Amino acid sequence: MHSESAAKVIFGWNAAWVSSFIFAAVYVMVITEKLNRAILALLGAGLMILAGVLTQEAAIRGVDFNTIGLLLGMMVIVGITGKCGVFQYLAIWSAKKVKARPIGVLFMLSIVTALLSALLDNVTTVLLIVPVTLLITEELKVKPYPYLLSEILFSNIGGTATLIGDPPNIMIGSSVGLTFNDFVFNLTPVILVVMAATLIPIFFLWRRELTATEAAMNRVMKFNEREAITDPRLLKQSLAVLAAVITGFVLAHSAAIQPATIAMFGAAFLLLLDNFHRGADEQARSVHHAFSEVEWVTLMFFLGLFILVHGLESSGVIARMAKELLEATGGDRNVTVIAVLWGSAILSAFIDNIPFVATMIPLIKSMAPAFGGDEGLLPLWWALSLGACLGGNGTLIGASANLVVAGMAERAGQPIRFLAYLKSSFLLMILSILLSHLYLWVRFL
Amino acid sequence: MTAKDLLNPHPVTITMEETFGGALEILLERHIRALPVLDSAGIYRGMFYLYDLWELLLPKAATIEGAITDLSFMPGSVEELREKVLEAGPRPVTQFLKDKEAPAIHPETSIKEAILMLYHHDGVLPVVEKKTRRFLGILTPWEILNRLRDKG
Repeated sequence: MHSESAAKVIFGWNAAWVSSFIFAAVYVMVITEKLNRAILALLGAGLMILAGVLTQEAAIRGVDFNTIGLLLGMMVIVGITGKCGVFQYLAIWSAKKVKARPIGVLFMLSIVTALLSALLDNVTTVLLIVPVTLLITEELKVKPYPYLLSEILFSNIGGTATLIGDPPNIMIGSSVGLTFNDFVFNLTPVILVVMAATLIPIFFLWRRELTATEAAMNRVMKFNEREAITDPRLLKQSLAVLAAVITGFVLAHSAAIQPATIAMFGAAFLLLLDNFHRGADEQARSVHHAFSEVEWVTLMFFLGLFILVHGLESSGVIARMAKELLEATGGDRNVTVIAVLWGSAILSAFIDNIPFVATMIPLIKSMAPAFGGDEGLLPLWWALSLGACLGGNGTLIGASANLVVAGMAERAGQPIRFLAYLKSSFLLMILSILLSHLYLWVRFL
Repeated sequence: MTAKDLLNPHPVTITMEETFGGALEILLERHIRALPVLDSAGIYRGMFYLYDLWELLLPKAATIEGAITDLSFMPGSVEELREKVLEAGPRPVTQFLKDKEAPAIHPETSIKEAILMLYHHDGVLPVVEKKTRRFLGILTPWEILNRLRDKG
């Protein structure tokens, strides 16, 4: 890896120290949240190059465009799909299935959130589900807090189940070459157990408080979910593309096609379907709108982060960290797996799991020789994914979806308090990690 | 030409003690859309808009920008809405003032700038003294239209 640092570090300083300093400075600043994380990551990436740790060519090689392309493609597809009201439809339909009884609605919305999160990005899922939830709880005259709390938890739990459900999985899958099916076979079973196990305490916590009058439930039963579909033609098109893209992920492995290709092709195709009947001016507006819905802040953060981590990697810091970690766990793989699971969970509860996972990926990769090659690393990847994704549930700042829900709740006059959230969520997070621990132990160790 | 030459210096105003219900009565009686709210010293404190009524009548989620853009799936009755208005009636009008409102303009604000603000906010512009925010009057599309029709 040292060969990549063909660039000369300024003033002849030590590349390892310079890259560690830049990386740590960015990390600390990201944690304090005083400055937007995309600004920080891009500044840090620029400094890595300007300070001579990386050349521009090396920096670009460090960017995982498969992750960025997959996220970008899915964001465009979901942005267009969201316009036609299908998610409102789903939420209302599921609430009516349980006769709008408050506790039933809580269960249904949690499960719908988990399902959608498994197939879409978590942030997108909560952006679509939370407004309808607020609407339904307002009609039922019940407090929205248990619903929002549960949706946060289930968006992170559901997201863990698949390759495309949560950014850490996308990064792990992309850089290690794990497929959609690998994630489904290895993570979905334990996630189903975690879901069931999380619903039980939620039921006992809230069942007494959540009651609604007959009149209130009737109001919700009068919702006409069919009316929520605003554009049936677009709905059919976007669901067809979404289904084709997911089928593509499942089948792609045998054809050696990367997920980014499938997602970007799907996005372009859906844009074509949505636009070919429009005039040039209207097309320009509509395409511009579709791209402006993309979360560029997240994508730019990824871009900077990949370069930052690559700086650490090429100056040998990651290899040294891996060595230290191996020494700490006595070179025992099973101990390392459990350490990665719990360490990732606790850290991800407090810091953004995206930079954490970006740092851990090369670190775990460099342990391959100690654990008998790439095959031996598999349980470590599952431990990292389970720890980083589920750990995000621990606190209100643990994952982006949590913050998005908190933001919307605040704007609707129903703020979620950090400590109130922590009280119930941290224990539920620990429960999910205990179950993951058990699962990894039984299945892989 | 500036706001000073155009403003209506004697619009209907209300005090900070006015209730939501009372303010609605005035809007309905006078067929106007907005009421400047002044404190006892004549300082401008905000604008009560018809818009505040719509916000009260809608579900909260629909008033969050971009969250829910279509409510056709939700039936509603006049009784249910009337109940909401009755409930909010005794609340002081100051609870309904928000920063979403058009910002205040000053006597020196040029006519072009005032038109630009009407273009963006389509409503009623309060005119206040720059330093003290003492209320001087309002500028509505009608003052401008009147002036445009005048030949002299």
